[in-house]
Amino acid sequence: MRRFLDGGIRLYLVLVLIFLYLPILVMALFAFNRSPLYGLPFEFDLVWFEALAGNKRLLQAGWNSVWIALANTVIATTLGTMAAVAFGRYTFRGKTLMQALLFPPIAIPWLVIGTAMLVFFFWVGRSVGAPGMARGLHAILLGHVALSLPYVIFVVGARLNDYPKALEEAAATLGATPWQVFRRVSVPILAPGVVAAALFAFAVSFDQFVISYFLAPPGVTTLPVEIYTSIRKGFTPEINAISTIIIAVSMGLMLVVARFYRFGGERSGNE
Amino acid sequence: MTGKTNYRRFAPVTRRRFVAGASTLGLAAGLGVGPFIRRASANTEVKVLNWQGYGTDEPWALEAFKAATGLDVVHDYYNSESEMITKLQTNPGTYDVIVTNSAWNGRASELGVIQPIDSSLISNFADLNPSFRDSAVLSADGKLYGVSWVWGMTAIAYSTDVFKEAPTSVEILWDPSLAKRVCVRDDAIEAVSFAAIATGQDMNHPADHDKIKEKLLALKPNLATMWSSEDDWNKQFQAKAFDVSIYWSGSAFRSKNTFNLPVGYFVPTEGAIGWFDGLAIGTDAPNAEGAHKFIDYMVSQEFYSKWAEVGPPASANNKAMEGLPDSDPSKAFYLDQENVKRLQFMAPLSDKERQDFSDIWAEVKTEFAK
Amino acid sequence: MTPTTRTRWAIFSLTGPAYLWLACTIFLPLLAMLALSFLDKSPLVPKPPEFTLGNYGAFFAKDFYWSLTRWSVELGLWVTFFCLLIGYPAAYALAKRIKGRWREAIFLLIVLPFWSNALVRIFSWTMVLRSNGIVDLTVQSFFPGAPAFDLLFSYPAVIIGLVHSYLPYMILTCYIALQAIDDSLVEAGRSLGATSFTTFRRVVLPLSLPGIVSGSALIFVPVIGSFMEPRILGGTKGATLGMNIEEQFTVTANWPLGAALSFILLAIVLVIFGIIYPFLRRQGGNA
Repeated sequence: MRRFLDGGIRLYLVLVLIFLYLPILVMALFAFNRSPLYGLPFEFDLVWFEALAGNKRLLQAGWNSVWIALANTVIATTLGTMAAVAFGRYTFRGKTLMQALLFPPIAIPWLVIGTAMLVFFFWVGRSVGAPGMARGLHAILLGHVALSLPYVIFVVGARLNDYPKALEEAAATLGATPWQVFRRVSVPILAPGVVAAALFAFAVSFDQFVISYFLAPPGVTTLPVEIYTSIRKGFTPEINAISTIIIAVSMGLMLVVARFYRFGGERSGNE
Repeated sequence: MTGKTNYRRFAPVTRRRFVAGASTLGLAAGLGVGPFIRRASANTEVKVLNWQGYGTDEPWALEAFKAATGLDVVHDYYNSESEMITKLQTNPGTYDVIVTNSAWNGRASELGVIQPIDSSLISNFADLNPSFRDSAVLSADGKLYGVSWVWGMTAIAYSTDVFKEAPTSVEILWDPSLAKRVCVRDDAIEAVSFAAIATGQDMNHPADHDKIKEKLLALKPNLATMWSSEDDWNKQFQAKAFDVSIYWSGSAFRSKNTFNLPVGYFVPTEGAIGWFDGLAIGTDAPNAEGAHKFIDYMVSQEFYSKWAEVGPPASANNKAMEGLPDSDPSKAFYLDQENVKRLQFMAPLSDKERQDFSDIWAEVKTEFAK
Repeated sequence: MTPTTRTRWAIFSLTGPAYLWLACTIFLPLLAMLALSFLDKSPLVPKPPEFTLGNYGAFFAKDFYWSLTRWSVELGLWVTFFCLLIGYPAAYALAKRIKGRWREAIFLLIVLPFWSNALVRIFSWTMVLRSNGIVDLTVQSFFPGAPAFDLLFSYPAVIIGLVHSYLPYMILTCYIALQAIDDSLVEAGRSLGATSFTTFRRVVLPLSLPGIVSGSALIFVPVIGSFMEPRILGGTKGATLGMNIEEQFTVTANWPLGAALSFILLAIVLVIFGIIYPFLRRQGGNA
């Protein structure tokens, strides 16, 4: 019975993964399909990868996106985790309000936030006599991190409902240095939430179009900007090709990470 | 709450590992910002603001322009005319050349975000079709604010597999035999303009809004879906999601010639939407001289004859149109005065009109969704 | 707990950086937008703006706004419901039934689809859901003559696309909450004679509630503002308030109205969570 149940559970997870990967597989499939209009039947061809190899702008856009997303992930995960720890660990006045303040960045459509940000940065820049400062890498990062923070705080918060403050105190009482307490007690508790939050922060930035679109200097572009601004005219399966490469590389990296690095916090007594 | 967290046997983050990881990231970030740090190079660059993939960013054109003038062309894009205005307003003195639709050029000059153009610096100016070149919407206070570049129409495309003969009337969209086979663009101005044409009204300033609403609501049984981009349109058409649709002329020729789709195109006897795009120069453009040069190249026959291979809209340059090979089907179509005479050209709209059109369309779409 | 100076300082230095960042880049610009929603013209128009309640009035004066709002909220509820229905069991299975390295691998695999572009994903769904699409062709090749499969441009298509886009949030937030629950608690429940279901209801479910809440918030809130998935997958059947807000910025250039509609959307979100919040607190306290 138990074995049967476990088989069913594995099957269920596999089905969920199939659902999640169905459009990804379709995306990859059409990267290898000759028709520029995603027509069927399928005809294998590498023409879109060849076109991509010669498309410097798209490749540069892809790199820009990766770097921005990485920098965003580091900053947003750090700051967001700190705030989530404060929410999990302490009860204080204004906490509910501060948590409620996380809703506007998610609830208000990005186009509205992006427009507000663009105009606001412009005003600030103009009033300090440097209108040019409204655009650039720093402005993009400011915007991406701000939009990622609520996600990080929510995700890490899901882990910290019951913050074992007593454990930290116990460790400190037993003579651990603050660094040891942090490394041996706090980090393991936080780890799964932080890893998940970082993955989401990366995703938020990697798919963020409006902010980069408004705040990137002319001539600089990111992958989402390339995709969304090309939609009027239409995008070719080159987009599928580059997306497929990104997913394939990320999958490889992630599986390597999963192989060597346990962040899941293995439960005791299972092995 | 009584939950207790287990955290044993977690691989510790050693200090050495942390330092190694952090320095790798730092290095990576350093490499990554490279493309963002741009030299100030006002006199060797022309900054263009346009739709993506709309002529000015053809790689061969940029190479030819660079070879002729030594100037690099850098692009920024907009996704709607209103965003174009926003970008101009919040980035004063950034852009040299801006592609402006005839209905928006006046708004831009009124807001002071584009500057007058010296037509004596545009060597091809004399070859431009006077009906566009001298149009009132491209100038203000007797000064020229836009050089007419390309024009086109928004009329009706149909599947030649389904229709053996080209339809002639706009009423084909409401034909009861085409239930769930019609497509329109999800665009308030376009939808309202078409309904105005179908109800015999002035497309830009229709008097009877209720009639328009009623006409659009009557579209419901025939509507298969709404398209949002040319790409979307091609994919839907290829999948046979609809048989007849309101569509852009340049796109229709591209669908037919580039993608070999069975597309036919006609201008209804009742009329259709005409539009044209101009090239403008931003206020305090960092390189106004280069901007004039780029505009001159953009309206040249040389540029258009090569661009014609990918299926652009019609050129505002008469020589360029007449220079097209007779084998190009768009030549006869655009030069056919019967077609051109039926068009109503898009005029600047007031904010109130724009809002009214948007509200009509929102209300109609809400009924469609019910 | 009595907040000593030290804990106050700790709270301040932990939340300070994030909230300062948010304030400078989001809250201040949004406050300006809020002010704008009470004006009659955009700030970039060279005429002086005047105070008006007309933008909020427009929302109540026109019937279609009510329909759009209702549909947006309904869409948010459906998508959140299906994400919970599909995601919670998956999270439970992952947290409590899968052991060893596979768990990390699956955990990562669940987020990965997120790293692809949303627009590309949606277009892929159109290829799957349409007639002559992937599912249709597959079904026809195994069962020739089976009824045609065509879900594109329908409400279910919108739900499928959105559930796909947001499911990872639910799985991961529930997973990290469930994974923090000590198995000995569950075993204690069992040894005291509680049935599996009772243990689940009285122990596991309340303890994983923060995960459910976080996940639901991260799904419901953006979904009610969504416009891309409804437009592309829903065709004429996907009308949302988010679409109308977008049009106020792209078509009519009426920022004040767009801003007013956005804040109405935000108010709806806050009211809904305001209603749920006390209930959640009680649930948490009872556990």
